[in-house]
Amino acid sequence: MSPSQVAELVEAVRRADSALGLLQATQALAASAHPDGAACLVEILGFNNPGAAVAAVDGLVAIGTPAVETILSNIDGYNYGARAWAVRALAGIGDVRGLEVLEDALGKDIGPSVRRAAARGLGQLRLEALSAEERSASLSRCLAVLLDGCRDGEWVVRYAVIVGLEHLAKTWFTALQASDQSALRQALRQLQDNPEEEAAVVQLRAALALQRLEEAHG
Amino acid sequence: MVAGPADPPISGNGDPISEEEALRRLRLSDDPSAQYYAAWWLGRNRSSHPDAVPLLQEALRQRRPRDAGAGVEENAVARNAARALGKLGGAAEAAIDDLLATLEDEDDGLREAAARSLGELKARRAVPALQRRLASGPAVAGAQRSGTPRLQEPCEALLEALGEIGEGSAEVVAVIEPFVQHERPLIRSAACRALLQLTQEPRWGEQLLALLQHQQLQVRRAALMDLGGAGWRPALPAIAATLAENSLKLIALRGLVENQDAGAPSQLDASTVAVLEAMDDLL
Repeated sequence: MSPSQVAELVEAVRRADSALGLLQATQALAASAHPDGAACLVEILGFNNPGAAVAAVDGLVAIGTPAVETILSNIDGYNYGARAWAVRALAGIGDVRGLEVLEDALGKDIGPSVRRAAARGLGQLRLEALSAEERSASLSRCLAVLLDGCRDGEWVVRYAVIVGLEHLAKTWFTALQASDQSALRQALRQLQDNPEEEAAVVQLRAALALQRLEEAHG
Repeated sequence: MVAGPADPPISGNGDPISEEEALRRLRLSDDPSAQYYAAWWLGRNRSSHPDAVPLLQEALRQRRPRDAGAGVEENAVARNAARALGKLGGAAEAAIDDLLATLEDEDDGLREAAARSLGELKARRAVPALQRRLASGPAVAGAQRSGTPRLQEPCEALLEALGEIGEGSAEVVAVIEPFVQHERPLIRSAACRALLQLTQEPRWGEQLLALLQHQQLQVRRAALMDLGGAGWRPALPAIAATLAENSLKLIALRGLVENQDAGAPSQLDASTVAVLEAMDDLL
């Protein structure tokens, strides 16, 4: 798709004068997955139109790495809804530049759906291209905030933390220091066995993660 | 499940207080706002303090005239007390007679809260009363009252409670069945859920699947919760594909995992793992 075609799609978003019109224009722009559309997609996250925001997040994830700078430089400290959608986009893209935002979101955000998305995202950051040293530092940060998230008050966040830990272990278990490996196992065991856990599904998910970890690494 | 229209909202975890403080506030019988919050807090945090149930029983008996200045309308404290008791499990056994008495109250909002809690407590003793409230069928118990959108009886709550309690005698099933034809889709959804729980017949689950396609989001949400409540696993692909918030789909899928007969959710069989993997995709 040529830049002028993308500009037309952006123009169509600006002209949309109804919720449905905005949704359709956003879907068309998102489907282009063109980096020139990123700024407009980020803007849509702040429009308070959930349907369009879902489409814009999909579009940003499809653009991937080239969208990250635009997302990060437009994080809106005052618009809660827009920030929540930006966290989802960063979680979906998995670029390590999003780490700080994801850490903050899992640790501090008031919305369980944002913490949930951040926990998942922290397990699937793409760390392959980093130097061993940078990778190890990033892994430690991801692990630390996920371990804190095990005590989240919402079952769905604890569930997402388990999925985050599982993904992290799947790719990077052998790259973790021995003490971090045992901390990760220990956290999953505690979630599995916690007698205070109200959600059986959380215990089951922890059991599944442990089973998979044992199959892979004994 | 749903707060009554006149209930003041309590957001998130509310004002962070200790259990002692909640119990203290619940004793303040001249401050309904404090009691309202305290009752909610004790339920939300599943208090196991020995004073919680007796204080909630007392609050349940409390009826007050409307006092606009207090910010809490008539019977709001009693309603929250009824709801809280439903969350306290075995400890609330002692309050079942109070909840049964509340099921006869003239305030249908209170009857609704009591019915839901009796369902959550799986109170078998409540079956005859719940059944009696519904026996006149959709045309009478399920008729809309004049001047309000509310029905003569809180049908949704009564139907759900019968399903939760799980006593599926032919008589109970016969009382519920006519509500599958109710003009309101939310009542149809509740009736199908109860019948699915009581009979395990797939035809009721299939009717709920059809409601997942309903044009109104509110109906799709209710059908999601009802399929989750019934734990009907064949609904898995349809739930994952429903046009609704992921948060609600996750709750429904949690229900598919947890709401199984006799202790099944402790196993990681292939069917359970399939539900968990569908949940992973929605996070």
